[in-house]
Amino acid sequence: MRLLLPTSVALLLLGTGSGLLALQQDDGFFGSSRTARTYSSQGENEKAEYYWSRLRYSSARGGFGGYGYFRGRWSQDYPKADRQFLMALRRLTRIQTRSTEQVVDLESDEIYNYPWVYAVQVQTWTFTEDEAYRLRQFLLRGGFLMVDDFHGAADWESFMRGMLMVFPDRPVEDLTDRDEIFHVLYDLGERFQVPGEQYVMTGRTYEKDGYIAEWRGIRDDKGRIMVAICHNMHLGDAWEWADDPRYPEKFASLAFRLGINYIMYGMTH
Amino acid sequence: MFEFLFKYPLAVFSKGSFVLLGAWPKWVFAILLIATAVGLAWLIRSRLPQAAPSLRKWKAGVIWLLQTALAALLLLLLWQPAILVAELKPQQNIIAVVVDDSRSMAITEDGATRESQAVKALRGGVLDELQKRFQIRLYRIDGQLSRISKLDDLTPSAPATRIGEGLKQVASEAADLPIGAVVLLSDGADNSGGIDLDTISTLRSRRIPIHTVGFGPEQVPHDIEMDDAVVAPRALADSRLAAKISFHQRGFAGQKSALTVRDAAKVLASQPITFPADGEVRSQTLLINAGDAGAKTLQFSIDPLPGEENRSNNGLARLVNVESNKRKVLYVEGEPRWEYKFIRRTEDEDRIVKLASMLRTSENKIYRQGIDDPKELADGFPARAEDLFQYQGLIIGSVEVNYFTAGQQELIQQFVDRRGGGMLLLGGRASLSEGGWGSSSLADLLPVVLPNKKGTFHREPATVELTSVGADNIITRLVEDPARNAERWKKLPYVMDYQEVGKAKPGAVVLAEMIAGGQKLPFLTTQNYGRGRTAVLATAGTWRWQMSQPLEDQTHEEFWQQLLRWLVTDTPGRVVASVPNQMMFDDGHIQFTAEVRDKTYLSAADARVEAHILGPAGVAAQIEMAPDPNTPGAFHAEWTADKAGSYLTEVVATRGADEIGRDTLTFSRMDGVAENFHTEQNRELLEKLASQTGGRYWRPQDFNRLPSEISYSEAGITIRDTKELWNMPVVFFVLLLLRFSEWLLRRKWGVV
Repeated sequence: MRLLLPTSVALLLLGTGSGLLALQQDDGFFGSSRTARTYSSQGENEKAEYYWSRLRYSSARGGFGGYGYFRGRWSQDYPKADRQFLMALRRLTRIQTRSTEQVVDLESDEIYNYPWVYAVQVQTWTFTEDEAYRLRQFLLRGGFLMVDDFHGAADWESFMRGMLMVFPDRPVEDLTDRDEIFHVLYDLGERFQVPGEQYVMTGRTYEKDGYIAEWRGIRDDKGRIMVAICHNMHLGDAWEWADDPRYPEKFASLAFRLGINYIMYGMTH
Repeated sequence: MFEFLFKYPLAVFSKGSFVLLGAWPKWVFAILLIATAVGLAWLIRSRLPQAAPSLRKWKAGVIWLLQTALAALLLLLLWQPAILVAELKPQQNIIAVVVDDSRSMAITEDGATRESQAVKALRGGVLDELQKRFQIRLYRIDGQLSRISKLDDLTPSAPATRIGEGLKQVASEAADLPIGAVVLLSDGADNSGGIDLDTISTLRSRRIPIHTVGFGPEQVPHDIEMDDAVVAPRALADSRLAAKISFHQRGFAGQKSALTVRDAAKVLASQPITFPADGEVRSQTLLINAGDAGAKTLQFSIDPLPGEENRSNNGLARLVNVESNKRKVLYVEGEPRWEYKFIRRTEDEDRIVKLASMLRTSENKIYRQGIDDPKELADGFPARAEDLFQYQGLIIGSVEVNYFTAGQQELIQQFVDRRGGGMLLLGGRASLSEGGWGSSSLADLLPVVLPNKKGTFHREPATVELTSVGADNIITRLVEDPARNAERWKKLPYVMDYQEVGKAKPGAVVLAEMIAGGQKLPFLTTQNYGRGRTAVLATAGTWRWQMSQPLEDQTHEEFWQQLLRWLVTDTPGRVVASVPNQMMFDDGHIQFTAEVRDKTYLSAADARVEAHILGPAGVAAQIEMAPDPNTPGAFHAEWTADKAGSYLTEVVATRGADEIGRDTLTFSRMDGVAENFHTEQNRELLEKLASQTGGRYWRPQDFNRLPSEISYSEAGITIRDTKELWNMPVVFFVLLLLRFSEWLLRRKWGVV
């Protein structure tokens, strides 16, 4: 505990220094100078039909507000993954979307204006009663939630603690090839585990004990998927590192197709 | 008094023609009249200087006027004025005395039935007087006319009165008999809804004057009567039906009661009502859930109040055929949008309207939902009439008009115009003006004149409010009471976007407006076009009504279900059968009409059409309908329902061995019901009948003067009589009055 403060200050200084150096080199925060221009916040006030909405939630292991690794797990891969995915969405579909992401939370009714929401690292989420109620209303009124980037049995249990506050009695089901969500735009009969960026270093497709990718969902009374659960995979990393030549194209490709299908399903069902 | 002054009855003057019998030419009369007037004027003027100063102004003019009038009257008498009038020859003509013998004549007023009052009036000297100069034929009239030998044969129990039909029969008898006039004693209650022009013209051609005598009070002191209940004869299962009920009352102004509609014993809807002023007709709309499929008899009624004498006219029955066959709507969407998703979700709840959709997800892919067959819409938007016309409704979202080929655009036009489908256009970034619809061949279909510019679609919020028409419309009705409905709409969350759609065309109806960008713009506009209907909804952002309101709120679902049902409910099938009136009162004669079209909705004039009828007590009939030579595809048949009750008819059209289509309709014959309505005397009808045939309306207390007037008629065997006017007492009174007035004025002005 005594080391926490000095360590944090050191890391902060290191991060700030690296950022300044990166900017001086016109490399941007996320990579090359070419991509830095792409990830500028230009167009963030653009009005669109679809907004890529990332859920900011209270985290058991991190803060709520702000962005970055130490301030909230909700912002994992943010915003490069979001913006890189949006580039693909704009190019491959007729969805009119803003080029930048939208952060939404469960503290106000503003979330009802964004019927498709993406959340990551959901093993860390926690809800108050009001937040759980708002998320339940959001989903039952017609909203769609995609969760990604949590791995293994312990993460699953943590995720479900939050989910059970939202839906105490709705079962989580395995999605199968027969589910329309895998065919709405791309036929995704052949699916495989999409690893995070660690694959480049380790060659492992799994994290923790999450050896097998699980596509699961929670349905409404009409059998429509409201919550699409991508367990034991890291689609966000695949979008984020799609432009890294070391990251295999087949993973990025499937991740993009899955994401697009999930959005298309959320906008049609 | 009239006869004392004018020597002859009024009928002489109203029916005769004025003549001058004097041998001198009429122009001499005119010259003498002018000369007298001028001479008197010169004489008075020449003496004015010597006259008193007070006579020099307008008073001299008055004196001149009185003297000229006196001279004119004397001159007129010299030319022997007279009236030339046709008169029935005594003992050679027949007077038809027709007494209403229907049940309404049995109503008791002041201790006597209307019919006994009529008999008493006839026996009070009128019949005897008439018999002195004419032959009398007695008739009774109810559903038809029949002759009776004596007044005792009258028994007011018939369930219906058809005055027009009865009088037509009299007119036909007049072809062989010298009927000089008709005397009709009735309360004017007619179940056929009045006397048609055909009957009136027949009577006029025979020149038979109808003298009518009205019985019964012209206003019932305490009564509630339902005037009409208007409800669509067809409805879709589970849909909301609007029934417009009109009623009036006397003696209960300001009091409260309840308006109820029942299907058998089940109460479908009930609404409190407050009665308006006496005689004022009030209309009220009741919303009913049509419920499950089947032929239904809806009973509308107003709860009776204490002191009401006739409670049988408080209600009406109407037939509604509730249909359960699915209606298909094709929804074409040019890009993934939230509106698309939420419309689809709404229609997932609808078990009647089925939404088939094609969504352009990417440049080369179309995602289909709600299809019945893998081949349906596989090639995109239909290019053949039979493929498109299988749908009853069409929704077009954010789609440029040029996405459709010229042939497809023509099909869309025919879909509305010829097939009778409903088309709804939604706002969007490629919709309406943005998509070039305003300058396309389909612009004519739209209920609005689109602005000729781009940039009409705005992703900005807009609030919506109803127009006065929309507050009471079946599409936009969220709450039954129109005022509360309008308030409810004002409280709806804003919509996410809006589009400028220009102005509504003449004949189109703006049901709702939106306030956006500081201006008020049409939000939902509808119109009828050809056999179908079109609408423009100037937004793609109503989905916010679903996402921003509690789960229990049904605004979004109700609005869209009502809008889509409006779109398809009246879309006809290939066979459309109809009858002029579903409810027949005391008459079973009915005419069936069927309109038959093939798969492409062109008239199928070569079809074979049969009507299969099932009625009460095992009545069953099968009749072949004959083609109408003037209207291709139209077929007719006539039939008579002899028994009272409900009838179900299925009309089937075939071409060779293939069935083109079938349609079901219901109708009902009700006996003895109509007589309970309009129980007060229908004086208007009796007066109109008398005046249009040259007769006169009589009140019972004046009836004894009828024998002196009835002989002036041009029907039967007549003579032309000349009635001199010079010796009318009124002439002498006028002469004296003119002279005396002049004398009196001169005395008053001091110039005697």
